[in-house]
Parts: sequence; structure tokens; C-alpha cells
Amino acid sequence: MSAEEWQIVWFTAWVSALSTLVILPGGLAAAWVLARYQWRGKTFVETAVTLPLVMPPVATGLILLKLLGRRGAIGGFLHDTLDFDVVYTWRGVLIALGVMSFPLLVRSARVAFEEVDSRLEQIARTLGAGNLRVFCTVTLPLASRGIVGGMLLAFARALGEFGATIMVAGNIPGRTSTLSLAIFQSVQLGQDANAFRLLGVSVVLAFAAVWSSEWLMRRKNR
Amino acid sequence: MSLVIKKISLPLASFTLEMDLETRGRVTAVFGPSGAGKTSLLDLLAGLRRAKSAFIQLDDRVLTDTANGVFVPARHRGMGYVPQDLALFPHLSVRQNLLYGHKRADGANPLFSFDHIVEVLEIGPLMQRGVTRLSGGEKQRVALARALLTSPRLLLLDEPLASLDMKLKGRIMPYLTRIRDKFRLPMLYVTHDRWETLALADQIVVLVDGRVVQTGPVQDVFRRPASVVVAGLLAVETVQPGHIIRRVDELVTVAVGSIMLTAVEKNLPADTSEVHVCIRAEDVILLKGDAGVSSARNHLPAVVGSVTDAGPLMRVELSCGFTLTALLTKQACEQLALKPGNPVIALVKAPNVHLISR
Repeated sequence: MSAEEWQIVWFTAWVSALSTLVILPGGLAAAWVLARYQWRGKTFVETAVTLPLVMPPVATGLILLKLLGRRGAIGGFLHDTLDFDVVYTWRGVLIALGVMSFPLLVRSARVAFEEVDSRLEQIARTLGAGNLRVFCTVTLPLASRGIVGGMLLAFARALGEFGATIMVAGNIPGRTSTLSLAIFQSVQLGQDANAFRLLGVSVVLAFAAVWSSEWLMRRKNR
Repeated sequence: MSLVIKKISLPLASFTLEMDLETRGRVTAVFGPSGAGKTSLLDLLAGLRRAKSAFIQLDDRVLTDTANGVFVPARHRGMGYVPQDLALFPHLSVRQNLLYGHKRADGANPLFSFDHIVEVLEIGPLMQRGVTRLSGGEKQRVALARALLTSPRLLLLDEPLASLDMKLKGRIMPYLTRIRDKFRLPMLYVTHDRWETLALADQIVVLVDGRVVQTGPVQDVFRRPASVVVAGLLAVETVQPGHIIRRVDELVTVAVGSIMLTAVEKNLPADTSEVHVCIRAEDVILLKGDAGVSSARNHLPAVVGSVTDAGPLMRVELSCGFTLTALLTKQACEQLALKPGNPVIALVKAPNVHLISR
């Protein structure tokens, strides 16, 4: 493999991992609130959170492009006040991946939180624990399987993301080109050998991700 | 201990829990059928649930007073709560479960030290195990110890023996009496088992459909259930319709079918003629052969119908013109060699024949 191809693999892996970590706090918070509280308009929030999962990724990407571009509401502000660009940079890739994988993390984590017996949390309170301690010592450990599963799903989704990424970040070699984008481009240019090499790497990456999470869970259960 | 529960109003699925209650018992049994609101009551006391209106005071400390916006959070209430499903933390070891709520040194009551509680409940050998690998009785002891280690001011026990079989109940009960006697800790003990109530409690609160139907010292309530519902709940085994024949002051002669019984009853309204006759199975004495002369006023020739195992005791069904149930120790049963069809004489003292007007 060429140095350029290694760069693409490396970039894809770390930007996917980083996007999973970036959405983790917000994802857990959203999942916990959805699992534990009822309020008017909850269905609307649920739907909004799930939207990126069911909309065409390119459409989601277009929305992000319009919001984050230099003339967009958020992108304009960032550019004018902080001289900070998102679109067509690695930060655009990060945001596209995060938005696309967010629903998967929230859904898994929410189910995991819902499955924690709330009686255990109540009794922890009678044993003198405050909300934060209950969350960290009872809720989180008991939900950890589902949360790790959700992180894996989010990571896998990020690895393979195509539509939203190409809208927000383009396919700039050496800067925003990810595995999926590079494979597509190789096939377009008739460079099948390159495409197959990258395909092989994708399989190895995906396998490693699933295998390591299985290994983690098994070790935890012992 | 004094526990005051007033102005409770908590809407539940099919009724509203409404009660006023004051108890100074060492162990107060909250007795009632399942679905009577017993667990909801414990949740209110522990601060895990909020009622529409409530006033709860333990000794001199007001824990809940909805009228004045007082609500002490669960973690500051000092209630040791052992729920029916025990709620042991499955991801922690026995030791970690025990230490979860352990308050070290504050108050410095050596009775509630880790070592003492572990010793009293004999938990030492279980310490390093995961709680999912404990037997039912072991889990029960760990849950009790975990609650005790918070140095609570009141222990709330929700049917602690309900999930155990007869043999295990007999093995866990001594731990409960030990807690009662060694720690001098007031307890609220939710149960629907008369044997547990008699063995452990000094006060009883009978709860039916969210309302207190009778309260008082255990012996009094068992001897004098206020209504047929209470008598049925407390499993006063013999409840028969009767008809009053004669009253001389408190001495009442009552007919159950063709059988005449003598009762002592002072709380009966003067114009009552139709009554429920209640006789607790423990109050029936059985004789084989000639009765001779006895102080018991009621001598009932009877025939043994069935003899069945009832935990530590044997239940004997007799037919003496009506069905009368007696509870005997196993030794007594063997000595009398009771078999179905045997003739016996049942003795019941007049004060043990309780009449409820119907």
C-alpha cells in the first residue's frame, strides 16, 4: 500500500474513533433523559434524534452544509468571529460522522438504561448515595454492555459513512478523504486494484472493532 | 421509637392509600393481603415516592410534610430499607454491597460496626463472592446487613421471608429476632404471614385496600379481630355464624347450629343477636379419652377429619357439629396418635371464643 493509502486508513480510523468519543457525553445524557423521564413533546425529541438514521445521508449532509458553510447560520458565525472553518476540513468529516452515528449510540444506550432496574437506583439512594453517585456506581456499570455495544455501532457507522461526509467535507485527498470516499473514487477511475486493497483494509478494521468489543465484554463478565 | 404517619393520600391503581397511624412498637407488623398498599407505604416512608399529601415524623424529626413543603430526600432519612426483591447490586461483590452504604465511625455506635454486623449475620465466609452466586437465605442476610450498616434509625422490611420455603424461614427468623434484640432497632415489618407476625412483632397494623382496619398489640388483635375481614386475614381458622341464646353480663351463650358455646365478650353491642364466632386454632386443646372435669367451659366431642403439616405445627381439622381447626405441635400430634376418624374432645376456654356481630 502507498503512503497515501495508509494516510487514508489512519485518518478514517482516528476520525471515526474521535467522533464516537465526541458524541459519547451528549449521547449518554440524551439516552438517560429519554429512558428516565416523561414530558410533553418527548415524541418530537425522540423523532428528531432518530432522523439522521432514516433520512438519506446526502440530505442530512446538505442540511449540515447549509448550516455550517461560510454563509450558514453556524458556519458564518464561526468564520466571522473565530476565523474557524468547518466545511471541507477534517472538522467537517468529524461532524458528519458524529451526526450520522449519534442515533445509533442513543438508541442502544437508551435501551441499556431502561433495562437497569430502577429499584436498584432507589435502594442506592436509601443507602445514602446522591444522584451522581447512583449514576456512576449503579446505572452506568449495569448499562455498560449496551453502551459499549452502542459505541461500537456508532464507530462502525462512522467507518462506512459516505453521503453526509462527501456533502460537508468533499473528497480532498490528504485532508478529508476517507476509506469509503477513496474506494468510490478508485472504482470511478477504473483503479480496481486500489479499490480492492482498501476494501481489504475495511474488512480488517471492521473485524478488529467487533472482535475487540466482544473481548472487552467477555473480560468484564468474568 | 415513635412513628407518626398522618394525612396520607396516595392514589394507587385501584384505590387511594389513606391512613393515619401512630406506633411506638419495637417491631410493628404491617399486615395485609397483597395489593393492600403495604409496599407503597414503605416507599413513602423511605422517601422513594411522593404522596399528594403526607405527614411523616420519626421521633422528633419531620421527614415529610407536604403542607409545609418539607421533604427529606431518601439518602438523608436514615431508613434501612430491605425491599422484597432485596435489590442487591448484581455487579458488586458481597463486600462491596455491604460497604455501599456503610457510614464509618459517625455516631460511633460499636453495635453497628462492620465486624459486629458481619458476625451477627454470619456473613464472613460469603464476603468475596458475587451476589448472584448466593442462595436465597444468604442473599437475605446480605441485604439485611447492608441496610444495618447504614446505622439506620428505623428498619423497613418488605416481606423478608415471603420468597423462602418453610425450612429456610425457620433458619432466617432467628437472625431477625437477633437484630430486634441486639440492635434495639425499631422495625416496620410488612408481611401477610401470621406466624412471622406472632414470632416477631409486638404491634400490628392491619391494612386492607389502602386503609388501616385495625391496629394494636399483636396479641389483642389476634384474639379480638375487629371484623370478619380482619379475622379472615389473620387466619383465625374457625369463623362460624352463630346465634346468641343468652347473655349474663359478659358471659354469652351462643349456638352454632345445634352446638352451644360459652363466650366472654364485653365489646358486643347490647342488641346483637347474630354473630360470627371466631376461634383461633392455637386456642383449641385436644384430649383423647375422658375429659373429666376441666376449667375450660366448652367441651366439644369431635371426630378428626384431617391432619396436615403447617410448618412448625400440625393443623388438625375436626368435625364437632361444625368444622373446628386446631393447631398442635408435632410432638403433641404424635403423642395423641391422631388419625382421621379418631374421636377426641376439643376444649376451648370461654375468653377464647370471640364474637363479632354480623
